[in-house]
Amino acid sequence: MTHPWPVAITGLGCICAAGTSVDACMDALYSGRRAPAPSLRFTSNHPTRFPVFEVPNFSEPPELLRTSALGLQAAREAIADAGLDPEALRSLRVGVCVGTTVGSAMNNEQFCRDYRAGRDPDLAPIERILRSNPAAAIAREFGLTGPCQTVVNACASGTDAVGLAASWIRGGLCDMVIAGGADELGRITYNGFISLMITDDSPCKPFDKERKGLNLGEGAGMLILESEELRSKRGKKARSFLLGYGSACDAHHLTAPKPDGEGLRYAIAEALSCSDTAAEAIAFVNAHGTGTPDNDRVESRVLASVLPGVPFLSTKGYTGHTLGAAGAIEAVFTVACLERGMIPANAGFATADPDLGGTPVQANTQIEGSVALSESLAFGGNNSVIVLGKRGTA
Amino acid sequence: MMRMAVKGIGVTGGFGSGVADLTAALKSGVSRMDGITIPSAQGPLQLPAYRAATERLEEFVAKRALRRIDHYSKLGLLGAHLALQDAGMLGTDLSRLGVVIASGYGATATTFAFLDSIIGDGDICASPTHFANSVHNSAAANISIMLGAKGPSLTVSQFDMSVPSALMSARQWFAEGRVDAVLFGAIDELSDLIGYLWQRQRGSESSGIISPLQADQESSVIGEGAAFLLLTRAENAEGYCAIDTVETGSLYQGELPLPSDALLVLGADGRKELGARYRATVPSRSRVACYAPLYGSMPAAAGFDLACAALILQNGAAFPITGAACCDMDGVAAELETERVCAVRLAGANEYSKIQLSRL
Amino acid sequence: MNTKDKLKKILVEDLNLEELSPEEIDDNAPLFGEGLGLDSLDAVELVVLVQKHFGIEIKDMEEGRSAFQSVGALAAYIDGRLAAA
Repeated sequence: MTHPWPVAITGLGCICAAGTSVDACMDALYSGRRAPAPSLRFTSNHPTRFPVFEVPNFSEPPELLRTSALGLQAAREAIADAGLDPEALRSLRVGVCVGTTVGSAMNNEQFCRDYRAGRDPDLAPIERILRSNPAAAIAREFGLTGPCQTVVNACASGTDAVGLAASWIRGGLCDMVIAGGADELGRITYNGFISLMITDDSPCKPFDKERKGLNLGEGAGMLILESEELRSKRGKKARSFLLGYGSACDAHHLTAPKPDGEGLRYAIAEALSCSDTAAEAIAFVNAHGTGTPDNDRVESRVLASVLPGVPFLSTKGYTGHTLGAAGAIEAVFTVACLERGMIPANAGFATADPDLGGTPVQANTQIEGSVALSESLAFGGNNSVIVLGKRGTA
Repeated sequence: MMRMAVKGIGVTGGFGSGVADLTAALKSGVSRMDGITIPSAQGPLQLPAYRAATERLEEFVAKRALRRIDHYSKLGLLGAHLALQDAGMLGTDLSRLGVVIASGYGATATTFAFLDSIIGDGDICASPTHFANSVHNSAAANISIMLGAKGPSLTVSQFDMSVPSALMSARQWFAEGRVDAVLFGAIDELSDLIGYLWQRQRGSESSGIISPLQADQESSVIGEGAAFLLLTRAENAEGYCAIDTVETGSLYQGELPLPSDALLVLGADGRKELGARYRATVPSRSRVACYAPLYGSMPAAAGFDLACAALILQNGAAFPITGAACCDMDGVAAELETERVCAVRLAGANEYSKIQLSRL
Repeated sequence: MNTKDKLKKILVEDLNLEELSPEEIDDNAPLFGEGLGLDSLDAVELVVLVQKHFGIEIKDMEEGRSAFQSVGALAAYIDGRLAAA
C-alpha cells in the first residue's frame, strides 16, 4: 500500500431518531432518551404495531429517495465539521463510499400495484430510484471527481464502507473520502422484517434476558476520511483515526449468524492485527446488539471469549437498527464517545441473561483508553469490525 | 503496482454458458436473443432480450440444494462454479476466498415477488424467503455458503458503474494483503420490471439489434447473465491476462485521457445518450471493440467486457464483429493484433471508468 | 382435502421440495433437522403459509415449536385452532 495505517477522520455527521446532528444524538444517548413508537409515516395491516425509530420532522425533496436525502444531510454536517468549503471539494480528489440497503432496492409498492393491476404506472417513482443512488447523489451534489461506491452488504454496509474508504486512501486512489451509510424506514422493509419474526413488539432490549428482536430505525452517518498529506496541508486536526479494519464471512446461513461466531472472531483478529492493537488496549466495543435472540447470544459469547472484561454496549436501543446506516452511525458514536471519555448506558437492558457471554454497561461509564471497536454482523453472514481512536497521545 | 491475474472465467448469457460458448460467439459474432414476455396494460408483450440459462448449475450442485435459490443467485452460482472450474480450483480449500459481486439492479424479480406477496395476500402474508433473497448481497451469501468461502465479502450496486467500482475495491483487498484470491462476479437478471422499464423508456425507438457505434439511433436490447473472474495476484501467476489498473470517477471538464496503444473495449450498448458520450469521448481514429451485441445492454455487461478482454489478450488478437469490433469509431475495420486492452465504461452525464489489462 | 393432505401439498409446492410428492411425506416425520430437513427460514415461511392458507396466526416461534414437530402435529394444531375460532 502507498500509505500506512492510520487514516485520519476529520469530520462527522449524523441524523437518526436520536437527533439531527452528532451533538444532538450524543446528548440523547448520555441522557438515556429514546422514543420508539409506531410509524407516523406508514401503516401496515399487521394486527400488532411494532415500534420503530423514525427521524421526526424530516421531509425528503420529491426528486430524491428519503435514503439519499438523509445521507446528504449527514454528509453536509460532516463536510462542515471537517472545516471544508463544499466548493473546494471539486478541485480535490474526493471519493464517496456509502452503505445502504433500501437505497439500492428497485422497490416501489405503488408502481408495482399499478403495474399488477394492468395499468401503465407513472414512471416517476422508478426514475427517482434511478437518479438517487446514495453514493452517486452525494458525488453529484458536490461535483466530486473521485471513486464512488454504494456498498450493499446488508447490516454491515456502513462499517464496510468506512473500512473500504480507508483502503482507497491508503492505496492513493484519492485524498479524501466521504464515507458512511444511509437507510430509510419504509413499509416494505417493515413488513419484510416482521415476516422473518425477528422484530420486537416492544422497545428493543439488546443483550437483555427478555429480548424478543429488533426495532427498525432510519438515518445516516458520515465520516470524512483524509490522507495525512492533505490533512496536514489543510492544517486540520483529526478528530480521530481509523486504525484498522477486518471482515470475514460466516458462510453459514442467509439470515442466522454462525453459532460459534467464527466470522466475527476472524474479523476482530484481523482488525486488531492491522491496527497493531492488543485486546487489552481496547476501551470499549460498540456492539451490533440488535436485540434478536441469536445475534446477542453469538456476539456476546465471542466478546467474552476474545475481549474478556472489555466494556461493551449496543446503541441500537437509541436508534433502532438502521440497516445500511448502522455501522456508520455507530462509527460516529464511537468517535464521539472516545472524545468524551465516556460511553452511554446500553438502553433497553435490565436483566442479565445467563445464556449470554456477559452484560453491557448499564449506566454512563467513564472509559480507560483511547482505542475502541465498532462491529456489525449482517444477513448473509458478513462480520465487519473497525478500530477507531488514537494510538498513544495525540 | 498491484497487478491482478485473471486465472479463471465463468460466464452465462445469451451466447450460452462457459468459456467455450463465449469464445464461439466471439469467433462467429453471433449470439441468441430468446426474448422475454412481460405483462402490460396492452396484454402480454414480447420483447427482444438475451436470456441466460442456469441448467448447467446441476453439474455442480444437487437440485435439492437449490430449492430456495432464486434465478439471480442461480446465475451467480453458475458463474462462480464455472470460474472456479476454469481456474482448476474446484474442490480445493476455499476458506480464505474473497467474494465480490457487482449488480446494477440486484434481484429485481425476487424484489417484485416479495411485493407481489404483500399485494396479493396482504401485509401479514409477506414472504420471508423472498425478502431474504431480495437483499442485495443474497447472491454473495449463497455463493459463500455453498463454497465455504469465509474471506471478506462485498456486494456493490450502483447501476452502470457497479462492476468497475467493485473491481477497484477487490484490487485494494489484494494490496492490503487480505486475500490471495477473489471470486469477482457481475450479475444482472431480467424481470417484468426491467423489461417493462425498457419498453416504456426505449422499446418503441429501439431497432432491436444492438449497433453500439451508431450514436444517432437507439438500439439497446436488454439482457441478463453472470460474468465471473477468478482473480489472483499477477506475480508468478498463470491465466488469461493481467489487470493492471482500475480507475473510476466523474469528469466535469476537459477530456478523458485514453491510452493510444491499447484496444479500447467500450461499454457502448445501443443506448443512444451513452452512444453520444462515447462518440464525444473516444477519439475517432481509436481502435475500439464493442461486444454488447453478444450479451445485451445491462450493467453486468461490464463484467462480460472484461471476460472478452481476457480472451482477446490470451488470443493475442481481437475478435471481429462487423461495424462493432475491432474498428475505428466509424466502424471501419482495424488491425486485430492486441497486446493491451483498456475497458472503458461511461455512465450518466459524467461518470467514467477505465480498466487497463495486458498480457501476463 | 383434509388438513394433512393440504399441508403436504403446500410443503411440496410452496417450499419447493421438488423431488418429493405429497404422498411420500410421512405424517410423523420431523419437519426440521432430520426428516424433511427444513431450517429456520423455512419455519417462518411456513408460519406465513399457515396464515395464507388457513387464516391462522402463529404469534411467535415458541407457539410454533411444538406445532412444527411433524405434519401430523401441525395438522392437529391447525384443526384445533379452526375448531376454537
